[in-house]
Amino acid sequence: MIYTLQQIIEKAASDTPNKQAFRCFNDSITYRELDNKSNRLAAYLINDGVKKGDRIGIYMNRCLETTIAVYGILKSGAAYVPIDPFAPISRVSKILNDCGVSHLVTTPLQNRRINKVLETETTVISIIGSDISFETKTVSWQFVYSHSATLPNKKNVLGSDLAFILYTSGSTGVPKGIMHTHSSALSLAKIMADTFDLTSEDIFGNPAPLHFDPSTFGYFVAPLVKATTVIVSDAHLKMPTSLAAMIVDEKISIWYSVPLMLIQLLNSGRIEKHDFRALRWIFFAGEVFVPKHLRALMQLWPETRFTNLYGPAELILCTYYNIELLPTAESNVPIGNVWADTEFKILDNRQEEVKKGEIGELAVRSATLMQGYWNNEQLTDKAFKRVKIAQGYEHIYYRTGDLVKENQDGELLFLGRNDRQIKLRGHRVELDEVEYTFLKHEDVEEVAVVVLDKEKEAQELAAVIKLQEGAETYNHQLRDFCKEHLPLYAIPTIIEVFADLPRTSSGKINRKEINNLLDQTTK
Amino acid sequence: MKDKIESYIINNLASEPLDKIYDDEDLLGSGIVDSMGMMNLINFIETEADIKIPSEDMTIENFMTIKNIMQYLSR
Repeated sequence: MIYTLQQIIEKAASDTPNKQAFRCFNDSITYRELDNKSNRLAAYLINDGVKKGDRIGIYMNRCLETTIAVYGILKSGAAYVPIDPFAPISRVSKILNDCGVSHLVTTPLQNRRINKVLETETTVISIIGSDISFETKTVSWQFVYSHSATLPNKKNVLGSDLAFILYTSGSTGVPKGIMHTHSSALSLAKIMADTFDLTSEDIFGNPAPLHFDPSTFGYFVAPLVKATTVIVSDAHLKMPTSLAAMIVDEKISIWYSVPLMLIQLLNSGRIEKHDFRALRWIFFAGEVFVPKHLRALMQLWPETRFTNLYGPAELILCTYYNIELLPTAESNVPIGNVWADTEFKILDNRQEEVKKGEIGELAVRSATLMQGYWNNEQLTDKAFKRVKIAQGYEHIYYRTGDLVKENQDGELLFLGRNDRQIKLRGHRVELDEVEYTFLKHEDVEEVAVVVLDKEKEAQELAAVIKLQEGAETYNHQLRDFCKEHLPLYAIPTIIEVFADLPRTSSGKINRKEINNLLDQTTK
Repeated sequence: MKDKIESYIINNLASEPLDKIYDDEDLLGSGIVDSMGMMNLINFIETEADIKIPSEDMTIENFMTIKNIMQYLSR
């Protein structure tokens, strides 16, 4: 039986040792090699003083070593903390310090950024996987591989132990860490393997970076069914023409991504140029797939199955909808039904269940539910709805903040948010965090960040700013300031300075009017 | 043209404040430019060079570095 995530690899290595586990560019690793190399990393970490429950950062771009990092850290008994390799240094440093990361696993490609991270005040005392010497203790991957593959003292890891922490946008400007245990992530893998017909013959395309929860599909679900995962490189994701050729050449049969990547493939006009017969199943999640594009894609790939998945990172996923009929160009496909080991309620403002067919906030109880937010009990309490069943026994639901309703067929329809969180190209962005960042600039007096909806497939952010009296700050200076604090996708594409912000009669900032003004000027 | 491309990337697309981009610096793998940025860069080059870049040419090989882009444009 499998109780922890690392047992997935141990089992695959014993059942199918020579099968390719992961591929990336022209490189590959078998299940046996992955088991062996991750043992060596774990042995190194344990010898270097890593204890059960410690947090270890993974600061890498998409590459084969990410798989060794994930499983090596888990085998050491520690939890991994994946960090966006391209995030601004101040944000990286906030995350590392928030959960007290002692060891950072990386690649030589990140050398320049690691140098900058080490210049900040940091809890990191050891770098693994770089080829140059920093003032902080540093070892190379070669050195790690020279360690014995026998673990000195195998940690007794339990399903309820912490496995990883995913950081996501927080509305107060501080990223929040979503804690998942072995058990919650393993439940996800088991439910997916059970719900969908996934086999060891399949080749999974995994474009999601490690710090993004859909990566659990390629890193855990695929090895559970002993399939092969292709880690899609950063370069391919930026060049749809190369991506299309790669999907065909690698004979990818299962693809899971945000809709935007598929829309870029569609718009590239390259789909008609190749034979995609191997691609049998497309899963998408993260945001609404604009129906006209989904329809166009399904017409190009009539033999391919399409499934809409839904779930915030706190649950990883929780509902699915297999699309049996070609959708109309007008209405969004449902997010469907909750899957196994999962139940839900739809709540009104008073936290009472709505009548069937009414709109409310979706709250979900599931085996895949997170443990809570790292070091933030207050936020965790706010996110959980606790239903007392008996003295000392309660059910915990996660309040998603997503507004839904049930249709006549009992399927859930996603209708938007009840707060200022948005999805931008699949990324979760808190508009409050973006505004908060501008306000940190000494010349900014007031700011309003709005979403421009000109073309639905490419939503854009716009920031309208009122400067302090007498301040002279140029738009590009404000943009550079944002780059120091926000990931690229969260930086407004339009930054405009206004003499004053439009207001409602009660003096509040009138965001609707801002949208109107920007629509006129950007047309 | 090379300078125009470099300054366009630095001023409009780069994910972090940069002074310079080296000719052989990996624009795609390093995260200097994201996928929306790449589309903007291609539009910019099309306008500046007054050409239409066909979709089959929008590959990693042609756009990985400024050097690759210049080689592609001089074909």
